Amino acid sequence: MRDLLEPQDAEHRSRPLVRPEPKVEQAPPVLLFERVSKWYGPVLGLNQVTLELRPGITGLVGHNGAGKSTLLQLAAGHLRPDLGRVTLNGLDAWTSDAKLHVGYCPDLDQFYEDLSGRDFLLVLARLTGFSQLDACERVEDLLRLVGMHDRADRALAGYSKGMRQRIKLAQALIHDPALLLLDEPLSGIDPVGRREMVALFLELARQGKCLLISSHELDELEKLTDQVAILAAGRIAAVGALPRIRELLDQHPHAIRVSCEPSDVLTRHLWQWEEIVGIERDAQDLIVRARNPKRFFEKLSLLIIEENLEVRRIETLDESTSDVLNYLLGGTRA
Amino acid sequence: MTAPLSPCRAWCFLVGWSFRRQARGHLLVWVALGLLGLSALLVALSTRFERWNLGFLRDGRGRPTYEEQLQMFELASSAPMPHAGLQALAGAVRAQMMEASGLWTFSNWAVLGMFCSFLLPLWTLTFATDALARERENRTLLWLLARPLPRPALYLGIFLATLPWCLLLNVGGYTVLCMMGGKPGWQALSLYLPSVFMGTLAFSALFFLLATAFRRPSILALTYAFFLETVAGNLPGYFKRLSLSFYTRCAMYDAARDYGINPPRPGMFVAVSGPVAWGVLLGAFVILLALGCWVFSRKEFAEVQ
Repeated sequence: MRDLLEPQDAEHRSRPLVRPEPKVEQAPPVLLFERVSKWYGPVLGLNQVTLELRPGITGLVGHNGAGKSTLLQLAAGHLRPDLGRVTLNGLDAWTSDAKLHVGYCPDLDQFYEDLSGRDFLLVLARLTGFSQLDACERVEDLLRLVGMHDRADRALAGYSKGMRQRIKLAQALIHDPALLLLDEPLSGIDPVGRREMVALFLELARQGKCLLISSHELDELEKLTDQVAILAAGRIAAVGALPRIRELLDQHPHAIRVSCEPSDVLTRHLWQWEEIVGIERDAQDLIVRARNPKRFFEKLSLLIIEENLEVRRIETLDESTSDVLNYLLGGTRA
Repeated sequence: MTAPLSPCRAWCFLVGWSFRRQARGHLLVWVALGLLGLSALLVALSTRFERWNLGFLRDGRGRPTYEEQLQMFELASSAPMPHAGLQALAGAVRAQMMEASGLWTFSNWAVLGMFCSFLLPLWTLTFATDALARERENRTLLWLLARPLPRPALYLGIFLATLPWCLLLNVGGYTVLCMMGGKPGWQALSLYLPSVFMGTLAFSALFFLLATAFRRPSILALTYAFFLETVAGNLPGYFKRLSLSFYTRCAMYDAARDYGINPPRPGMFVAVSGPVAWGVLLGAFVILLALGCWVFSRKEFAEVQ
């Protein structure tokens, strides 16, 4: 009985739930992760991640500690993989040549606080290799683009979170990179600013840039793209179009441990539900295998109230699927 | 029309910009300037009270100073009956002791003792550790690492921008001390300046490497400066050969060889020759700089994560 409950073997677990659908004559990937693993001492930050990004917007979602920032830093060339390879337009992401192809907007909120926003961007433009004249022109263009041209002369120390986010975004765009890595770019920005930023991201994608946007908020990401990569415990749990992921998740039976009293009442009702694929008993608990998890949990909640069941524990047994579910059940269309 | 991006232009800008950033005063610089003021005051007081001679030294614990011994000799030579030969001898000894020993005393006390063993490493670490440490502690290193500049070029650029400040503090500080030292100070200034310059280069490369490899480089560098350079560097035997100040002092002794300036206890000091000292300092500079480049180019800095 326990065999049926084992989540998946190691090989299966390292495979994402949904792979990108094969396209005919695709352009070469801008960003390519090939079986990348990264350890922090004994802790595994990323585990055998394979990912291809082409022009357009891809959302990167996952809980804290799922590996989002590690993935972004590997792509930005601030970390090196312990196993596997990360390439940007065919160049090793760690090299300085690759940094010409990537703009990184980190979650980190540290600046040269004594500089003004304009001076900060000018310094970074000059450090990128622009001449003084070109740097000035480029910075003014970028300040207009991110809506900061009229307030860029104040010292960065006095900026609000939203203003700092805009300056961070501007610095990532200085050298007009093919790939933009944006770590929580909308956090701290007011609703009006968010709309402006979303419009800007869409425009950049329309221009053929590749954007990888990390966010906790699937709702926000859904306004930008339906292409997401869901990270769970250092693995890509799902990657592809959101509707497709949801559809497959609905068809995919989930193993759920339910511990309640009286369990025979619960079993009797569960057998009548069309979502249920199988029920097994493991000591005092029930292991329920169900399709369409959202509907299952809704019905289960009602049943618990109606039958006054005493629930001790409800637990999703497939870790990766659980994380995907947490995101998708919180989404607007689930 | 936009000119193509130039890594060379970016690097030159990095050097100039980092140099200007170092001009901002920080705690260690104020400590260094305070020490400079204190040591300059000590030297000035010694000059004012004419202490740059052997007269105040003793040839053993509990024994009278050389000045007291000479006074006793002069008294003996003039009483009960003046003796012209002995008086001439006393006059000659006084001339040697009071005048010709000025450079020897100043060199051993102010230059080799205070400056070389203590102030030189301390003043160098003021700028050499802080340049990178500040970028790391403020977590602004990220902005530099994200630029399309090779990491060794970044390292060398920041080092090159920091070096003039290290030289300014050491050579400038040394010049101030020498100016306060009167005539022997002026003599010592040109005599030891090349060694001060070379010592500064070697120490700068060392402290810059520490700032790259470790998270709290100032504490580590201070510990190193106090224990390995100041304490262990003055111990008898061969252990002191691990310290850079030992080779700086050897280079200084070699420069002052013609003036009869040698280590007070040659058997304990076990000096190396001038060319060896210069070779070690130059080698240390090159190797430590190359090692720093290598560490910096491979390191994943936790501060940017």
